Amino acid sequence: MSMTVQHGMLPLERRQAALRAALPWVLVALAAFVAPFLLSSGFGLSLLCRMGIAIVFALSFNMLLGQGGMLDFGHAVLLGFGGFAAMHAMRAAGAGLWIPAPLLPLFGAAGGLLAALLGGWVAARRHETAFAMITLGLAELASAAVLMFPSLFGGEEGITGDRSDGPALFGLGFGRQWNVYFLIATWAFGCSFLMWRYTATPLGRLANAVRDDDQRVSFLGYDPARVRFLVFLLSGLFAGIAGGLQALNDEIVTSTNVSSEASGAVLLMTFIGGVGTFWGPVLGAILVTFLQIALSTMTDAWQLYDGLLFLAAVVWAPGGLSGIILAHTPLLRAGRGAALVGPYAAQLPGLALALAGVVWLAELGFRLQAVRNGAPAGLLLGMTARPHEIWQWAIGVALLLAGATLLHRFWPRAKMAWQAQMAATIAA
Amino acid sequence: MSAAATIPVLEVSGAGLSSPDGAVAALAIRDLRKSFGPTAIIKGVTLEVAVGERHAVIGPNGAGKSTFFHLVSGRLRPDAGQILLNGADVTGLAPHVISRRGLSRSFQVTALFGRMSVFENLRVAAMQALGVGYDFIRPIASRAKLNARAEEMLELTGLAARRHVAAGALAYADQRALEIGVAVAGNASIVLLDEPTAGMSHAETDRAVSLIRRVTAGRTLVMIEHDLGVVFDLADRISVLADGQVIASGLPAAVRADPAVRVAYLGTAADTLS
Amino acid sequence: MSLTLAPILFNGLVFGLLLFMLSSGLTLIFGMMGVLNLSHASFYMLGAYLAYTISVGLGFWVGLVVAPVLVGLIGAVVQRYGLRAVHRYGHMAELLFTFALALVIGEVVPLIWGRNPVRYQVPHVLDFPLFQLGGTDIPAYRVFMMAVSLGMFVALFTALARTRLGLVVRAALTHPDMVSMLGHDVPRVFTSVFGAGCALAGLAGVIGGNAFTTQPGMAASLGGIVFAVVVMGGLGSIWGAFVASVLIGLLQTASISLDLPFGRLLGLPPAGSDGLLADLWSLTVARAAPAVPYLLLVLVLAFRPRGLFGSRNA
Repeated sequence: MSMTVQHGMLPLERRQAALRAALPWVLVALAAFVAPFLLSSGFGLSLLCRMGIAIVFALSFNMLLGQGGMLDFGHAVLLGFGGFAAMHAMRAAGAGLWIPAPLLPLFGAAGGLLAALLGGWVAARRHETAFAMITLGLAELASAAVLMFPSLFGGEEGITGDRSDGPALFGLGFGRQWNVYFLIATWAFGCSFLMWRYTATPLGRLANAVRDDDQRVSFLGYDPARVRFLVFLLSGLFAGIAGGLQALNDEIVTSTNVSSEASGAVLLMTFIGGVGTFWGPVLGAILVTFLQIALSTMTDAWQLYDGLLFLAAVVWAPGGLSGIILAHTPLLRAGRGAALVGPYAAQLPGLALALAGVVWLAELGFRLQAVRNGAPAGLLLGMTARPHEIWQWAIGVALLLAGATLLHRFWPRAKMAWQAQMAATIAA
Repeated sequence: MSAAATIPVLEVSGAGLSSPDGAVAALAIRDLRKSFGPTAIIKGVTLEVAVGERHAVIGPNGAGKSTFFHLVSGRLRPDAGQILLNGADVTGLAPHVISRRGLSRSFQVTALFGRMSVFENLRVAAMQALGVGYDFIRPIASRAKLNARAEEMLELTGLAARRHVAAGALAYADQRALEIGVAVAGNASIVLLDEPTAGMSHAETDRAVSLIRRVTAGRTLVMIEHDLGVVFDLADRISVLADGQVIASGLPAAVRADPAVRVAYLGTAADTLS
Repeated sequence: MSLTLAPILFNGLVFGLLLFMLSSGLTLIFGMMGVLNLSHASFYMLGAYLAYTISVGLGFWVGLVVAPVLVGLIGAVVQRYGLRAVHRYGHMAELLFTFALALVIGEVVPLIWGRNPVRYQVPHVLDFPLFQLGGTDIPAYRVFMMAVSLGMFVALFTALARTRLGLVVRAALTHPDMVSMLGHDVPRVFTSVFGAGCALAGLAGVIGGNAFTTQPGMAASLGGIVFAVVVMGGLGSIWGAFVASVLIGLLQTASISLDLPFGRLLGLPPAGSDGLLADLWSLTVARAAPAVPYLLLVLVLAFRPRGLFGSRNA
């Protein structure tokens, strides 16, 4: 969101500024191109596809939350409607209509836009808590509606399609995941660039202004409700594209695509990545997608870990990852990073112990459920889990307490060290 | 029964200041009323401000000055009465519509875009007047006139050195200066300033006064102000609002001499006027 | 129809009063602190589960007293060490905090008590039909629920009218900016009110958990209805919450018992076997009913943010 092109510059400076602005995009494009060669397994490729979709979805979410101050608890509705629209188009292509697969996300965009028109018409009238509550209600209504009209949404089973049924464009078929990845990556790159470009337009700036003080905006001659509505539409458009890409990737769209879990997931990604920067949600989308897929194959408790991670971020790191990074870039640039290594490393034992305690307790809980259902308790960190024995719970509590005590004791030092280095950097 | 009929209102024509023959007032308010539940706050205010005039609204706390500004700027809807802006009726219109008709305002409690830079605050404030709509295609940086206007405002407000600082991180006096800058960046013909010097030190107040003089040159100014030094320094005419009514309106000297003002507004502290 | 109306009215009233137990606390917390506690229904769920665990060892009556107190304490701790910490980041952060908390409680509960419903049962002494209403047996426990709700209702109003804390709370509801001037330890008042609101939700869980089902989805299914109630009642208005609770309680109970397709209800001819119209025709009132509170929530917030009975804007 920071201004990348300054005013009152000479042409040469301006060209240099433009180059500096373009560099991250070139690097991102390179990374997106190279990634599938490094992660070429089926699992790796499908992970990359999900990341690409999640990036577009999270960026569209942050158009509302971080840039516009709108907390949308039902953002997955926009994604889901895009998905359903793209899926119907995919089926129409299968039935003989000339719709090549690469263009399916356009139908997703239309679906997302339509949903945003309906939802934005009511939600954009309000801001802050009332806006959030309206989106919460709209999300529930959409979930109910999806199940109420099986002829349109396929009921519980959802609707399925085959992306390779449609006509080929330039001889490109999309049976292979490899091709699907490059399709998703291209769309994701294009959408990200457009969303970035939007932040530097008058509407993008008005959205920031509405976020900071919506009443003041109205005294500057702009209707804040209209600003919110337009931003909501644009956000819906991009969320719809993400939904279209998801339909293309999964070849199935169900009511879970519009569910409150899906809405919660994008909130988690965006918040973990950081709402205060443009690129924060990108980081969050990559990290959380990876965590969710990795954790869900490893443990039944992954949703609990998700929730705890979110809660911890809200309390301790409201700026998310990008906030943490931004808090350190000036120090690192000034070469003061070394002074922080010690104080930060001192947090590791406490952090590790606390984390181990949380994981121990959560896993023990799930073993308890397994035992109750007649399954074997299995192993826990190499030991046989005995969830009915109190001492095993005591271990978890002890780990957690020990970690918390260490963090409580050593955290102020890290904070002071950071403050001291920051002060020194500013002074210099 | 309008308040004007029951209370003797001073009508001293300010030579050279009141509207020339036939010219419409910049702001004309007729019998404005507003109640909150059973409590009447504005009880029939009638007021005219000529084009180019600097008009101060003074009065004791709770007289309804801020409510009066909220009514004129469209934040609150009046129960009765009429507000004419350059002769056009704007009563009950939305704030953004009134703003587009050429009226802008500042706030008593600083209302800036806290996470945006000083420069961005001024640029957003200048957009409307330069015909920029809810545009999401053309980058804002490519609008030469808009950027020039924002630069000009940076210089005028003396905040050029702080252009990249987030408005929320500015020192108080700088925030107040930016508050005034945001109010006038849009080139409004009528500017309402709500206690522009509130909470300032003596030196800061002096700077604020000269800033107000600079940026409101050629505009109509209506300001609420508690600092009578500032009022007598800046204002061409003064209106005294007490208990939701205008009890006096006229040239500073006449208002200063008005016994009704001394009783209603100043009470025992009448000597502060002299 | 008229014969079956009486039990519907009765059960609707019981449900409505239960809703009020949740909505009164939620609306008080919002009115005072401006925080919409999205985890409020999670405290209802905690009340039910804690009461279940206590009732297994010590019986229902101990749970009736102890579980709400425990839930209230948990609520107070959450306010003191969680909400108060994020307060400086603004209302959005507070909203996010309660949202995240609801997620976590929603995952911790099945971790401790399992994903399937637990056998939290109505106490034996109250497990009999007390009387008949329109040909339907009315269980004694429902009458007991009503008595507890009414008792709590009286206690709440007495506390608000007679105690010093109640005075501060009422002052805060009408003049939210003035509380700090009353010379009270405002943070402590906030913690108390938050804890008390959670305790009320916990009590609702104790007496509602066994009348309905105690399962991990119970918070989510009731949460939306409670939000709709407080929004309809006008955020911060106790009386509004009361009226809206009873109204929604009646509406929900009545519509759930109407297992009729809309098409037949309106006397329309069947609209084919496929397509949107056919879906609409065969949609039963009972299936559409759960969406109604959300529809009301959205419409009220968008078009009448004061709520139907409240006087302040959301």
